[in-house]
Amino acid sequence: MVILFIILPLIIAGLLPLLGKVSKKVLPDFLANAVFALLLGYSFNFAWNASAGKTILSQVNLAGIPLGITLRLDALSLLMLFTIALVSLGVGIFSVNYINQEKYSSKPIYYSLLLLTVAGMNGIVLSNDLFGIYVFLEIAAIASYALAAYGLGKEELEGSFKYLMLSVVATSFILLGISMIFALTGTVELNGIASVLAYSKAIKIKYLIGICSALFIMGFGLKSAIVPFHSWMPDAYSKAPATLPAMSSGIMVKAAGLYVLIRLFYNVFGITPAVQTVLMYLGVISIVVGALLALGQNNLQRLLAYSSISQIGYMVVGFAIGTPLGFIGALFHMFNHGIFKSLLFLNSGSIENATGTRELDELGGLAKKMPVTAGTNIVASLATAGVPPLNGFWSKLIIIIALVQAKFYIFALIGILASVVTLWYFLIIQRRAFFGKLNETWKDVKEAPFWMSLSSIMLALICIILGIAFPWFIRLWIEPAANVLVAGIIR
Amino acid sequence: MNIDILLFPILLPLIFAVMGLFLKSKKLINYWAVLGSAAVLYCAYVLFGIKQASLVLPWLGHGIDFDLKLYGFNAAILLWVNIFTFLVVLYSTIKMETSTRIKEYYLYVFLTVMFANGSVLADNFVLFLFFWGGLLITLYMLIMLGNLNSYKTALKSLILLGLCDFCLLLGVVLLWKISGSLKISAISLEAQGLAMISFLLIMIGAIGKAGAMPFHNWIPDAAIDAPVTVMAFLPASLEKLLGIYLLTRISLDVFHFQMNSPVSIVLMTVGAITIVFAVMMALIQKDFKRLLSYHAVSQVGYMILGIGTGTPLGIVGGIFHMLNHAIYKTGLFLSSGSVELAAGTTEMKKLGGLMKSMPVTGLCFSVCALSISGVWPFNGFVSKEMIFHGSYETGYLIFTIAAWVGAIFTFASFLKAGHSIFFGAKSTEIPEVKENSWPVLVPMIILSAFCILFGVYSILPLKLFILPALSGHPEVLAELTFTHNLSLLNPIALISMGCLVIAFGLHYLGVKKGQGKAYLASEPVHNLPIIKTIYNLAENRVFDFYEQGVKLIKLLSKVIYYTVDRPIDFVYERVVTVTGRIVIFILRVLHNGRFANYLSWSLAGLMALGYVMGTLIKKAG
Amino acid sequence: MNIYILVALILFSVMAVFLRDLLKSAICLAVASIFLAVMFFRMGATYAGVFEVSVVAGLITVLFITVIALTNDDAKVPENKWPIIIFPVALAIFIIFDIWFMNKFIILPSKALPLLAQGEKFGDVLWGQRTFDLLGQIGVIFAGVFGVFAFFRRKTDE
Repeated sequence: MVILFIILPLIIAGLLPLLGKVSKKVLPDFLANAVFALLLGYSFNFAWNASAGKTILSQVNLAGIPLGITLRLDALSLLMLFTIALVSLGVGIFSVNYINQEKYSSKPIYYSLLLLTVAGMNGIVLSNDLFGIYVFLEIAAIASYALAAYGLGKEELEGSFKYLMLSVVATSFILLGISMIFALTGTVELNGIASVLAYSKAIKIKYLIGICSALFIMGFGLKSAIVPFHSWMPDAYSKAPATLPAMSSGIMVKAAGLYVLIRLFYNVFGITPAVQTVLMYLGVISIVVGALLALGQNNLQRLLAYSSISQIGYMVVGFAIGTPLGFIGALFHMFNHGIFKSLLFLNSGSIENATGTRELDELGGLAKKMPVTAGTNIVASLATAGVPPLNGFWSKLIIIIALVQAKFYIFALIGILASVVTLWYFLIIQRRAFFGKLNETWKDVKEAPFWMSLSSIMLALICIILGIAFPWFIRLWIEPAANVLVAGIIR
Repeated sequence: MNIDILLFPILLPLIFAVMGLFLKSKKLINYWAVLGSAAVLYCAYVLFGIKQASLVLPWLGHGIDFDLKLYGFNAAILLWVNIFTFLVVLYSTIKMETSTRIKEYYLYVFLTVMFANGSVLADNFVLFLFFWGGLLITLYMLIMLGNLNSYKTALKSLILLGLCDFCLLLGVVLLWKISGSLKISAISLEAQGLAMISFLLIMIGAIGKAGAMPFHNWIPDAAIDAPVTVMAFLPASLEKLLGIYLLTRISLDVFHFQMNSPVSIVLMTVGAITIVFAVMMALIQKDFKRLLSYHAVSQVGYMILGIGTGTPLGIVGGIFHMLNHAIYKTGLFLSSGSVELAAGTTEMKKLGGLMKSMPVTGLCFSVCALSISGVWPFNGFVSKEMIFHGSYETGYLIFTIAAWVGAIFTFASFLKAGHSIFFGAKSTEIPEVKENSWPVLVPMIILSAFCILFGVYSILPLKLFILPALSGHPEVLAELTFTHNLSLLNPIALISMGCLVIAFGLHYLGVKKGQGKAYLASEPVHNLPIIKTIYNLAENRVFDFYEQGVKLIKLLSKVIYYTVDRPIDFVYERVVTVTGRIVIFILRVLHNGRFANYLSWSLAGLMALGYVMGTLIKKAG
Repeated sequence: MNIYILVALILFSVMAVFLRDLLKSAICLAVASIFLAVMFFRMGATYAGVFEVSVVAGLITVLFITVIALTNDDAKVPENKWPIIIFPVALAIFIIFDIWFMNKFIILPSKALPLLAQGEKFGDVLWGQRTFDLLGQIGVIFAGVFGVFAFFRRKTDE
């Protein structure tokens, strides 16, 4: 029942506002988190299958009648499903307390939107045809516009509106690309496209595929905030409720952007040196520009948004190398980044919940008042900056080793230098928000409530445990997924 | 899951270490620790009975497996590691009773056992390094448990041994490069060329762990600063066992070299120098523990000399000496701890005539001291004789002479120690002392019993523990006979006994000169013309390459600060930050919040992409 | 006819991007998506057309217009004006580039055409038998409806 990954959140999302009439808080809290936990557990169900390299193509039947729905579940999509479920569980648990804030309210609707983003992402990941990807992309996107503006402040709306405008442009280019592919091959099914393209060697077709690639890089690149298509991200994140960027930067940019890109380039079109070169340069530019821009920021979530851009650059570079090691590094970094970046955003939510602000200027000395938040934040920051022995270190190390192995020495050097810059701005956060003199305004500040702390601790623990147990994790989850990419064009 | 028995010596201490943290009462913790060490000891005993086993679990891939292998020799080492652990833990129940950090102490002890067992069993160099490196950390933590100054000593040990471990790491990497394998038992090389360099690097790691010169400097300091049980536990027993174990493995199994090859000469030289210099330093010490610690260094010299000879007899002697040394040196440290516990000090000047009030301690001390001095029929005699014979066979008489010189001064210094502490006139500086309770005495008694047993019936330990090291080397075994050194009537044995007589004479003269004060017995040697200056230099740590190295590094850092760091800082201040600021400024101006602009970049990006893709495809097609 | 719709579509999209007033901009976006929907209908993509009208033109616009109307307090974010020229220039260059590029390379290869030669319309092939999209569209409609709920809740709260 692979379809459960899509249907379950969709049904619960539909039911929640109705059930919300009965119980305004407890039931939505419970139901939404139960769904996330269930999806997380359910993804383990397929882990052994997928790590053995099997691909499940599931034809959905309704009462014995086959519907025109085919889902593709292989190790790569399973890794994505797992990441999505894990991060959304963290975010869901965090929301139990966080959405009680006055300006948010109306929990059932909030959870419905959260569940819809999850349904959308799961749909993207499982979909076996291009147009399906497009439709589910829209679900996730629309739900996240609404979430981005959930506080209904002026700046939130503006950020959300920019997000919407740029996304619409991106999706129309994606649509254009899809129609061109359809015109070229006569199908939108991924394996259909792959098998048609595998036999067409004409130079014209290569050019057309090149144009489509450019359109997809632009469209999905905008979704995954690769420079120069990144500019919606800081604006959309800076004022949104902290759970949205945690969700969006944690997994959405990957499921809706990077995942589709690599799936298309490695498994459908077949990778070409041209695409590899382009992605490599885009990735490196993202790393540098994101890291530099993060340096000068004052708003915590804006800073984290730029940091995400920089980290996504690492993944793009890792994928662009095209060696097995590069895939492993990039996929592992993808997972790790999902964990620690969502943790960082949730931390900023905790801070905002306690103090009402996210401006670093106004904070200071919070470590004594909020030890859990400060502690988990340090773990996440160090993991992002790639300090051993946390998980981020290993994934970055693997990417850099892969770069060196593929003889991209300059890029490897840039990667290392950028991670120094990363460490730098995270230390700035630590100094300005958590250490130093306690700002008099915050002397009555309390630690984040139970569920918020629980979710932070959970994510921080994953960072630490993975830092030690990474070989096993890589063997079970990452390597099979990398093998899907190594195997090349699907049949 | 079925847990392989080979994992027990590694997992059990870990379990006991962690569980110990949850215990509240001090008494309970003591019982727990004794129980734990007994359990691990039993486990090691069972393994010693099994003799042959191996376990390979996939670990990091790329030839790096979790690879454990048990064979005769390391089964013996494993057994002895755990015997010493058990005795030291038993002893600690009383000796560490006053410590407030007892929980930490046992935690580190059990972790040490885990790492030690792991490195003995490991059959993969990376796994081995993992455990070996762990020992470095637990040693650091254990020394830190000592007095207020211990952090300095701990740091010193960390740096010195860290240096050795680094050499070891380099050696392993080089070895990997040469042989292409990381499986210890699968590598077999002739020690020539690059392999020789690799051998020397790994050798530094091994003898550094064992405490040979010039990596010994932390041991005398630790003798003062660290708890005495830590001294008995690590530098006296475990580190010797491990260091010499590694040295044996690399010089017998991994590499092989001929008698009198360059490698052999290097080893013998290191051994001889260590023997002579360390024993000279030991001779003049006024503190019992410090004296013992210099002997701990000096005796390593014998082992290295023995193994370095490359002759069957020398090698067996060296390994046997390792075992013997671990036994009697642990016994000596424990007796010094016993004295400290009862009298509150270990300075020889203040002590005297303890024999009557502490007969068991005194007796055990005497047995161990006679053993270390190589008096017939104790165990030290047998192994030292074998080393003398082995080094004599190489034809380089100088090394044999150095070993004899070492023997003279060893005996002299122990005559001095014993005379001033246990015999002679009763001291007035300390209050009335009483013999300690049984957990302190039993370990010492057991160790002394071993000293006598292994001396009288030396074939037993040789057959049981030492010869397995030579399994797989039938050519060595064939030549080996133990007959000639068991008879007292051969020239070499007679010379060694002559040495003991000389030592006795020296002591007698010294006491006479010091007007009957035994602790001044070494003063005549101390005050000899040239030697005095050397001693003074040594006391001022001129030969301590750690201290000198620290000075040199401080100087270098100053030089580098002014010639390299400042200019770079200038470049950074003036060039990097300014350009960085400009770049960031431009980027921030571009992010002005107008999404029309954002969109134009996206379009521009798309165009650029299209163009680049087009040209790249054209180029490829 | 199609070409006029296309031009109008582009025109309104550009205005949506270019206008500084969020309200007008949102309306332009809605009009643009209506034109897009008309294109879909004309090409036989009924599902996609309904989808476009219902969600993008309908729900999202309602959502934004209402919210913007609710919170329009004229507190404009200060911005620097100098790069105002960038977008028109970029757009113009893009259109020229686009025409040049597409003209040069778009000649549909014959391989895909046999599928269309069986008397089917292009649209039938593209949009027929797409049950999967129904599921997706349910999701999209949910998202839009809940989005509107979310945005209207301030009003009901007050």
